[in-house]
Amino acid sequence: MKVKIKKWTGVAVWKWTANDDSCGICRMPFEACCPDCRIPGDDCPLVWGQCSHPFHIHCIMKWLSSQQMAAAQLCPMCRQGWRFR
Amino acid sequence: MSRVTFAEKRIQKELMALKNDPPVGVTLDDSSLTNIYRWRVHIEGAENTLYEGEHFILDFKFTAKYPFESPQVVFLGPIIPVHPHVYSNGHICLSILTEDWSPAMSVESVCLSIVSMLSSCKEKKRPPDNSVYVRTCSKNPKDTNWWYHEL
Repeated sequence: MKVKIKKWTGVAVWKWTANDDSCGICRMPFEACCPDCRIPGDDCPLVWGQCSHPFHIHCIMKWLSSQQMAAAQLCPMCRQGWRFR
Repeated sequence: MSRVTFAEKRIQKELMALKNDPPVGVTLDDSSLTNIYRWRVHIEGAENTLYEGEHFILDFKFTAKYPFESPQVVFLGPIIPVHPHVYSNGHICLSILTEDWSPAMSVESVCLSIVSMLSSCKEKKRPPDNSVYVRTCSKNPKDTNWWYHEL
């Protein structure tokens, strides 16, 4: 069955509170999800490092797990040791 | 239908950005694009540097792990800049291309780093170990165990 939407009324908007507009790793806007997700929001949340840089959680986890040595697990933006805030 | 992968989405975004809004002295070579995992980018030596007026070609190869893995970047001949960190086969000794890579970097930032590396050069000469290196190295510069020095 095909449904044609003729009219819709938004009742709320949501936005992540981040200093940047887009994820430094995937380059997608924070309001969108990472390239491996389909639906933005709670299923593809942002996380912040103690250095205050935000990323999609899936993006930063891919980066951290690609770095075998703990010493190489740095924030992609400022190269400080990555710690979750 | 296969889904567009993480790497492909990111590379596609960079491709559009470099096409539509390239930094001064950096040009994407559209005609060379046969697949998005391999690009040629033209760079110009900056004004008031030893390379002013010179023109070079960089060859970028990406893997499916990009941007979590750095691209492979070499100068393409016949004109390879004469520089203490650039071997005559086009290999570049630059730490951001291996151990200091970060997924927040991009083709654009790599090109600008290379232009800036050329700009800070005080004397045009090849690396001291050039002849041994080009005889013994692998084709892929990322297989080399680079020793990075300041300067």
